[in-house]
This record gives sequence, structure tokens and C-alpha cells, in this order.
Amino acid sequence: MTLSRTTVMLVVGAFLFAALPHLAAMPPWLALAIVLAAVWRAAFELIELPRPNWLIRGFLTFGGLALVIMHYGTFWGRRAATVLLCVMIAAKLSEMFRLRDARVVAALGYFLIATQFLFSQQLVLFAYLVVGCALITAALIKIQRDADGAPAPDENHAPKASGAASVVRDGFLLMLLAAPFALVLFTLFPRLASPLWGMPENALDGRTGLSDEMSPGNIANLFADDSPAFRVSFDGPPPPRSERYWRGPVLWRFDGRTWTRLFYSNRAPERTPRPGPGAFSYTVQQEPSERRWLFSLDYPVRAPEGARLTADFELVNRTPVTTLKSYDVISQPDFRDSVDLMQTMRRFALQLPDDSNPRTRAYAQELRGRYPDDRALIDAVLSWFNQEDFFYSLDTAPLGRHGADEFLFDLRVGYCEYYASAFVVLMRAAGIPARIVTGYQGGFWQASDEYLLIRQSDAHAWAEVWLEGRGWTRVDPTAAVSPSRIREGARSALSGSEGWLSGEWLYQLRNQYDRLQNIWNRWVLGFDATRQQNFLASLGLDKLPPGVKAALLVVLAGLVLVPLALLLQATTKGRRRPDRLDRAWLRLRGRLRRAGIRPMVGETPIELARRSAENLDNGHELITLAGEYSLLKYGAFRGENAITAFGRKTSRWRPIQRNPDSLKQS
Amino acid sequence: MSSSRFSTKPAFPEGSWARSWLDAAQSRFGAWLRRRGPVHPPLTLGYRQIYILPTRFGWLVGLLLFAMLLGSLNFNNNLGLFTTFLVAGIGLLSMHIAHRNLDGVRVAGCVPGQAFAGDSLALSITLQDTKDRTRRGLVAESKGLPATAGVDLAAAASAETALSIPTHRRGWMEIPRIRLRTRHPIGWFVAWSWFWPEHKVLVWPRPADHAPPLLTSGSSDSRNRPGDESDEFHGLRDWREGDPLHRIAWKASQRHQHLLARQFTRPERDRIILRLADAPGRSVEERLSILARWVMQAERNEFEYGMDLGATTVETGAGRAHQIRCLNALGEFG
Repeated sequence: MTLSRTTVMLVVGAFLFAALPHLAAMPPWLALAIVLAAVWRAAFELIELPRPNWLIRGFLTFGGLALVIMHYGTFWGRRAATVLLCVMIAAKLSEMFRLRDARVVAALGYFLIATQFLFSQQLVLFAYLVVGCALITAALIKIQRDADGAPAPDENHAPKASGAASVVRDGFLLMLLAAPFALVLFTLFPRLASPLWGMPENALDGRTGLSDEMSPGNIANLFADDSPAFRVSFDGPPPPRSERYWRGPVLWRFDGRTWTRLFYSNRAPERTPRPGPGAFSYTVQQEPSERRWLFSLDYPVRAPEGARLTADFELVNRTPVTTLKSYDVISQPDFRDSVDLMQTMRRFALQLPDDSNPRTRAYAQELRGRYPDDRALIDAVLSWFNQEDFFYSLDTAPLGRHGADEFLFDLRVGYCEYYASAFVVLMRAAGIPARIVTGYQGGFWQASDEYLLIRQSDAHAWAEVWLEGRGWTRVDPTAAVSPSRIREGARSALSGSEGWLSGEWLYQLRNQYDRLQNIWNRWVLGFDATRQQNFLASLGLDKLPPGVKAALLVVLAGLVLVPLALLLQATTKGRRRPDRLDRAWLRLRGRLRRAGIRPMVGETPIELARRSAENLDNGHELITLAGEYSLLKYGAFRGENAITAFGRKTSRWRPIQRNPDSLKQS
Repeated sequence: MSSSRFSTKPAFPEGSWARSWLDAAQSRFGAWLRRRGPVHPPLTLGYRQIYILPTRFGWLVGLLLFAMLLGSLNFNNNLGLFTTFLVAGIGLLSMHIAHRNLDGVRVAGCVPGQAFAGDSLALSITLQDTKDRTRRGLVAESKGLPATAGVDLAAAASAETALSIPTHRRGWMEIPRIRLRTRHPIGWFVAWSWFWPEHKVLVWPRPADHAPPLLTSGSSDSRNRPGDESDEFHGLRDWREGDPLHRIAWKASQRHQHLLARQFTRPERDRIILRLADAPGRSVEERLSILARWVMQAERNEFEYGMDLGATTVETGAGRAHQIRCLNALGEFG
């Protein structure tokens, strides 16, 4: 039993579709190799080629393995493993000449689709799921027809039911009919509250969120990334735009180039705020970031489930966020986080690398002389930023060893990281304890659905200084330079530097699309063990013993199958659509009926024509037509042209009644 | 797919306890099947006759689905979970469709053909749809035999397929239990029904490859003697008093201006009696084989032949029907 050409094309097509997002994410040369293997197999069907022998097959398989290990260095980890799966299926595909192989390739396609969701569960991927599953099912249907179908019939009566179009339609139908069942199972199937094993890290292809260190220049790649970082819905009004600082990692150590976290930050906070008037309560839906950082407004009252609150009021999750994560936070902005700064911490907050930034140090001393008060000094620096020729731009130069000097006195063009870094160096040089906070700022308010969308491009860095009697206080030097960056977001600060592709209309469209994505996230992706419990509770089913729940699941799934079976009855019923020939004859019968002649039960076309002819002037023509119809329908096949000619003749024929009165009497 | 090679070697040797136990189990199973409902064609397959199980490929997909379920549950991956359930739903549906594909199929007939020992016997199976549904990929197979090609049935239509059964020795042969199965639509489940053809088949002895030439019994006067209308048309002759009126060739008579009558003749054939005693050979089977060859030769040479097998005799005659009569007698001998 061999595979038909249509089958091979369907399997290859279904595989390529299922592999599409994987191909897009792997290195192009590897993707090209996989596509070539698939195309090669398809080419066998069109031109005469020798079949690959075991040597070539082995070369393909081990070559693929070698390519993957060369690029990823491992088979462990989600991306490497799925790329490997793609390579292996492609290798199998290139030697797919038996039904068995085709079946295995097709079935693995389902798996390939499911693995894609380890990387992203975006709304668009639902379309990928639907179309992919339907195509694979269609391929399986076609393979089965090859296996057990009737042997090749003569070309005149080629079975339409085995054509690619009809098989794909059947695939979609089967999947559509299975959808209600899947929905019931999806809602009621018990979920795991905690995972059995952890997700291998090093995934997401380096497309990670905010990192836990900063050297001026590395948030920049986030600015180009318009993908959502997280979404926030508030219980009540959202904070004003200028207060939307989403706190992430807090950085203390500076080696002249890179800011890093301090080990001591991992302590628990000495005191935590009390939720009171002015507090914000909100739910964050965080997209996978591969990092452990969660984000909150200043100052989170307590850590959400599964996370920890640090002394710097960072929220650290127990495990990296690899799937959509939802958490509730209460933030109290009106809070003094530390009354006094311990000596060790003060040392860290004033630490600067030796022999660096001499000009900044000198300038700091000069300022200190002029402004003995810390607050006055800070205000002076901010107004200096504001009034001198400082510009906010992503288009800037990297900094050297004396980064703060170069930036403050020569370059004066940069973005938040540059300003925050230089500002903190200046503060420390002036003897004011200071540190850097990274996170996100702003966000887009979806007024219709009442949630705040924070994109990766909203990444931001600002400073905190320790003031006597006030504690750690937020100072955003970027706001002094480019107030619009804070008021209206990163986009407005960079206006004019983009092409039409990222134009305003597209931005609006993306915002609209994100509304759907938000609903999707909330209702489909966010449906976890807790949600399920709540849902069951709202139906009053949560108190049932597990056995009863299982029985209920079975019964409900069964109930879904009943209408399904009925639907199936209707769809697989042998009531085929009349073909061209029958349609022509039915048209003729319709005309007769309108003329008052009704066909009787069991009457053959010729009998009907004879009976009708008695009352018609052109009855003999009708009899001829009926005879021709019978010949075409039951006789040997005489070609499509004969049917066309018959159709043309019938469409011209109209009954001419001999004596209308006699008809009325009958 | 199931092109399992035909083999005559049983799994257990004849007479061993395992074999007898297996035989007993099989006959009990057969009896149980028979108790469940009609098992001889013509029969319409209903839910009592239809069995369904996953195929090997179906188990494989099940394993795949289990892996997908575990992974998706572990990572709380809702789209992965939905994919898993969707594919599971497709599988469940395919089980239902496989059952429906067989439900209401009528095995209208199961007619064995004829065969010489060692040849394959074509068992022609007629399938009918009784529920106005389109049926796809119905395959008939029997243990150890290559399956038939699939049969598609249009709604309310019938179709025929032939199962080829190898034969080994002359005589009456039991036709094994036949399985009508379908793996429609995606091959994850196989639904099947068993039935037994009611009749045994008579297998003819294989005509010997080397047989002594046929001895004609001398009476070789090949003259033709007049016959009646059932015989061959010979020609026209003048009509004579006493000829029946319907023998007059009216059209020809008109052309010749006098009455002509049609004349018929019966060709005289060689008569021969094939005797078992005349056939050389060490065993009865060998001699029957030679007789079979003689029957074939006699028929080809248009002899008039009869048979004397000692216990049974066949009157002389000729023609296809007579040949079958003779071969049947050979097949049944003993």
C-alpha cells in the first residue's frame, strides 16, 4: 500500500503549518534545512527521484542532531527540544513512503502544535491551533482512505470524497464536532495546583523581560519591543500617570559600567506599610518573562502567593515566570520605608569605583559647597538637567570608563538609564546615599476594558535617594529632561523617529487587539486550579466528593456527545448534493410543478414525462429530455459535455399547456 | 496494512495440551459469538455484532495524548490542554464514526467460487447499506489471509468484494470465520463484526501436470446425423411433405420461387468413459488428479464423456455444466 500524491502533499503541508512558529523561532539555516527536507519529499511525487537509502537517511538524522547541538549546546530546554522534534519529524518525512510513517508524522504534528504553547499562548495562536489540528486530522483521514479505500476507480468516476478539498473539509468538520467535548473537559478537568516538575529554564529565546542588572544601553533593546509585559486591572481608579512607577530590581553596586543588585537586599523588609486610605489594590497579569521579578507600585504591602518581598520592596517569585502569571497586590504609596540607614547600607549606597569620573566628583563637591541641604542640591541638579542642553533620545553613543563624566559634560544625549546612572553617581559623589530602581513606567490605559497595558517598551530606570527624615525617596532625572516621557510614555518622547509601519494607526490597532488578548488571558489562559474551584463553587459543585465530580464530568461529556451524534447523523446521511445532471432535471420538474403537474411517488422520469405530455403542446420534447436524462444517469458515462448539453436543453424548455381548462379540472 | 502472510503452520503442534485448550477456547468463543445473534449471511450488522477497539496506531496516539496532558497540566498550559482535549475529542468521535460506519451494513451474500486444490478460491461477499448512509473503507479479512481491498458504499447501495482463500487439498472445505472491519475515519479505532459463511466449499482435485493421453473408445464415425432445432443450423433443402411448417424458410423461399426448409444437424462427438481404474498413479489422489486433467482435456476436445469412479458414475455428456458435475464428483470422491 503506497501513499497517494494528495496524501503526501497533505502530510507535508500539515507538518509545515504545525512547524511554522517553530521555524520562525529557530536559526534560519536550520529552518531552511527542515523546509528543504519537506519540499524534497513533496518533489518525489512530482518528478522521478531515487529514494534515499539508509546512508542518506542516517546522514539527515544525525546531521540534524549535530546542527541542533551545535547551535543550542544541549537538547534540554524547551527550544532545543522542540527544534530537535522538528528536525526529527523532518528527517522522518524525507523517508516517508509507507502509510505507517505518514501516520506517525501526522500524529506528531498534534504534539508539535501543543509544544508551541510552551512559548506563547497568544490569541493569534488559537487560530494556529484550530487550523493546524484540522489539517493534521485531514491528513489522517486521507491516509486512512489510502489504507482502506476502494481501489483506484476509472477516471470517469473519480471519487470526489477523496480529493484534498473534501478531506480538508472533513477534517475541519471532525474538529468542529469535537470542540464542545474539548470545552467541557477544559472547564471541568481537574487542574494541578502546583507543578509536578519544573520547567527547564533558558527558554523564550532570550526574549526576556527586565534583567537584574543594568549598564546604560541595555534597556534600549526593550524599547523596540512593543509586546506586552503585563496588564493591570485596578479595584477602583488607577493612579495618575505620573505615579505609575512599576518597581522591579533595585541596584546598588556600581563597577563603573554596570549596576548590579546587592546581596543584602534579599533580607525581609524591616517594616511593611499598612493598607489604608490611598492604597491601590490591583491584579497583575504578567506575561512570561523567564525572570523571577514581579512588578508592583510603590510600596507593596505583602508578597503575593509564591513570591517574596525584599528589603528594597522588590517582589521576587519563587520560580521564573514561564507562563502567564496572575497575582494580586495592594500598594500603599504613602509610606516611609526606613527611619534610618544602617552604616553598612549607607556605605553601599555611597560606594563608587575609585579613580573614576573625576569631573563629576569635582562638580559634586562644588554643588555641595553651594547647597548644604540635600533637597536643595537635588533640586539644583534636576533644574540643571532641565535648563542645560540635555536631550532625551534612544539614538546615543555608548559610554566609556568615566561614563558619568562623558555623559554629563560631553554627550548629554541619552535615555533613562543614562540619566539615572549619571544622577546616582553625582549624588553619591556629593555624599547623598542613592540607588537605582529599574522597572516600568506608565502604560496604556484601555478605557473600555479598564485595564492598564504595560509594554516592554515602557521599561524605565530611575533613582532613589535617602533623605534624612524621609527615607528612600524616588527621584526621576528623566522626568526633568523630558517631562513628556513620564506624562505620555516612551512613545511620545521618541516621536518622529519612526516609519509608517509603527505609525499611529497601527499603534491604535495594536491597542484594540490587546483588548481581545486581555480577555483571552483572563478567561482562557488564566483559568487555573483556583479559577476552576471558584467556577465550580459558583455552580455549587465544589463541595461534591471527588467520585461524584468525576461522574459529573463523564455525564456532561456524554451529554455533549448526544447532540454531536445527532449532528453527525445529519452530516453523514447519504443525502448528497444533487450533481449537475440532477439539478437540471430538478429544474425541469420544478417548472412542471408550477404548471400544475406534480410528480407521483414511484414515478420514473419517463413515466412522468409521458403523463405530462398528455396535457402539453411540446410534450414530445419533454419525453425526449426524460429519455436523455435516464440515459445520462443510468447509462454509460458519456462525458461532461453531454451533461452540459443536456443542461442547456433543459434550461430552454418551458411547458406549453394544451388546454389550461382541462388541467384545472383534473 | 494487515498483510499477514498466510501460513499453515499452527502455533501449537497438533495434539498438545495447549493446542487442545486453544481449540476449546476458540470453539467456546465461537459459540458465545453465535449466541449473541445471527452470524450467517445474510445478516444486518447491529450493535450486538459490532466490536470496537483502538488500533495499534490508536494506542500510540493515546500515549502521545497522555504525554500532552501531563505536560500541559504540569505547566498549567491552557492552550496545550485545550489541544489535548480537542484531539481526544476527535478520537472519541472517530470511535463513534467507526461504529456507525459498520452499523446497519448488511452482508447480503457470501458466495464461494470454485477452485482446484492449490489455487485460491474467491469468496464473493455482497455488502449493502440499509440505513441510507455512505460507508467507507469496509474491509473483509480472515485470520491468516490477506485482506480485501476496501469497499466504499454509497447510500442505499450495494457492492461486492472478494476474499481470496487459498486451498490445499481436494474435498469439502470449511470457510473460516470472516471479519468485516473498518478503521474509518482516521484509523485510531477498528470496528469489526464476525460472520461465518453458511456453506462449505467443494475443492476440486488439481489437474495433474503430466497425464497419459486420453484414450478415445474407437467409435470415431464422425458423420453428422440429422438433428432438431436445438442443434446447429446446417443449411437449406427443398421442402418435402411431412416437414413441419415452422421449418420453412419463408424469406429464402420467396427468393427461390419454391419452398425451402431449414435443415439442422447434430455433430457426432467422440464418446469416452473416464475410469478411475484406467488412471495410473500410486495413490487415489494422484489418480483423481489425472482424471481431472482428463476431464479438462475431454472438454477441450469437445468429447462426449462420462465418468466411472467405482462407487459413483456420471452419465456421458458435454459442456461447462457437465464438466463441473464431473469435477464435483471427483472432489467429493471418497
